[in-house]
Amino acid sequence: MTYYLRLLFIIFSVTYGVAQEKNEIEKRVKKDEIPKQAKEWLKDAFEQKRRTKWYYQTDGVKEVYEAKLKQNKHLHSVEFDLKGNVENIEIKIKENEIREEAYQGIFDYFKSNYTRYSLKKIQIQYTGEADDLEDLIDENEIENLVINYEIEYYGKTDNDNILWEGLFDANGKLIEKRSLNLKLTDNLDY
Amino acid sequence: MVGVLFFSSSYAQENRTTFGLFPEASLSYKLLKNYSITHKFESQHGLYDTENLNEELEYEHTLTDLQTFIGRRISPFVKVDIGYQYRIEEGENTHRTIQQVSILQRESSYRIGHRVRVDQTFFKNASLLFRARYRIKGQIPLQGDSLDNGENYLTVSNELIYMIQSGEDDLENRLTTALGFYIDDKNKFEIGLDYRTDDYLVENRFRHRIWLKFGYYKTL
Repeated sequence: MTYYLRLLFIIFSVTYGVAQEKNEIEKRVKKDEIPKQAKEWLKDAFEQKRRTKWYYQTDGVKEVYEAKLKQNKHLHSVEFDLKGNVENIEIKIKENEIREEAYQGIFDYFKSNYTRYSLKKIQIQYTGEADDLEDLIDENEIENLVINYEIEYYGKTDNDNILWEGLFDANGKLIEKRSLNLKLTDNLDY
Repeated sequence: MVGVLFFSSSYAQENRTTFGLFPEASLSYKLLKNYSITHKFESQHGLYDTENLNEELEYEHTLTDLQTFIGRRISPFVKVDIGYQYRIEEGENTHRTIQQVSILQRESSYRIGHRVRVDQTFFKNASLLFRARYRIKGQIPLQGDSLDNGENYLTVSNELIYMIQSGEDDLENRLTTALGFYIDDKNKFEIGLDYRTDDYLVENRFRHRIWLKFGYYKTL
């Protein structure tokens, strides 16, 4: 028995050493660690008391804090820089909540590029100044904000069978897309 | 005294409990686009059995399974596999063929794997054993909403197995929970308990098996 344990230990320690080069990190952080400015902006914008979860995120280059909370039954993710300046708001929406100006363009893109597709996650993304972002939340007013849609979708062509994340502009035009690699499922399949 | 002995032995007959160690390891690699191979090794080592009169710790190599699967990914969420297993066990080594479909369900912070599997076991002097099984396994990150390198996760799974051989059928249930170490996507280590109960449909008999399971999942 000790043989197996020793073998496992060796494999474990070898691979652990190799795996130190991390790039993407997302972790929960305590409210105390968040800059005051971020917390104050959030309090002003979302007036009612809401349960907020705070995260720290980095892709290896950019570092941000993110607040996740629910308002009007929609999940909101608010991104701040490390000083606490609000940068953008992403709101999870359903297909029928895509604004009219964008709807046609987005679905034309899907229909003309894929034999089959399905939308997995849709977020409307608002970027702009702190005051304008605040007006969006507490006045439901869209002024001076850049609107994009971040859509995670599965698209099938004759050759490919891939999960994508596409960024569409306010008129439904594709800005960019990248393929998403789902985490391996070996421990769920065998 | 006699009464106590009688009671304990009849209890053991009807309600057998065993405990042991269950190491497992899997190695997967890509073959062609959308196709992959997985080899899996798993081995059960009994340490405790209420059927042994003295109930002492007694080591026993229960069995070792060697499996190989060929899988095809139908979509990012669906995968089908056919597999073969060679089981090394006291008495008779057996061959098993396996077919399975696995479906991935993603939620905002956790994910669920559904697995539907049928298998057929061949014996020299007994008829074919056919089993149909469904497993649901949840994987929940323990730090934040997404699983990053070096973080831990929790898994909980339950599998229900229906089996039939020569017209006699039975049910088995397997409940597991484990702590997972997500070293990176290609290296995962899980340690936990696997609680198996069977002989549901057999009169006057019920069996509990508890395994301390530790598994390594490696992908090239």
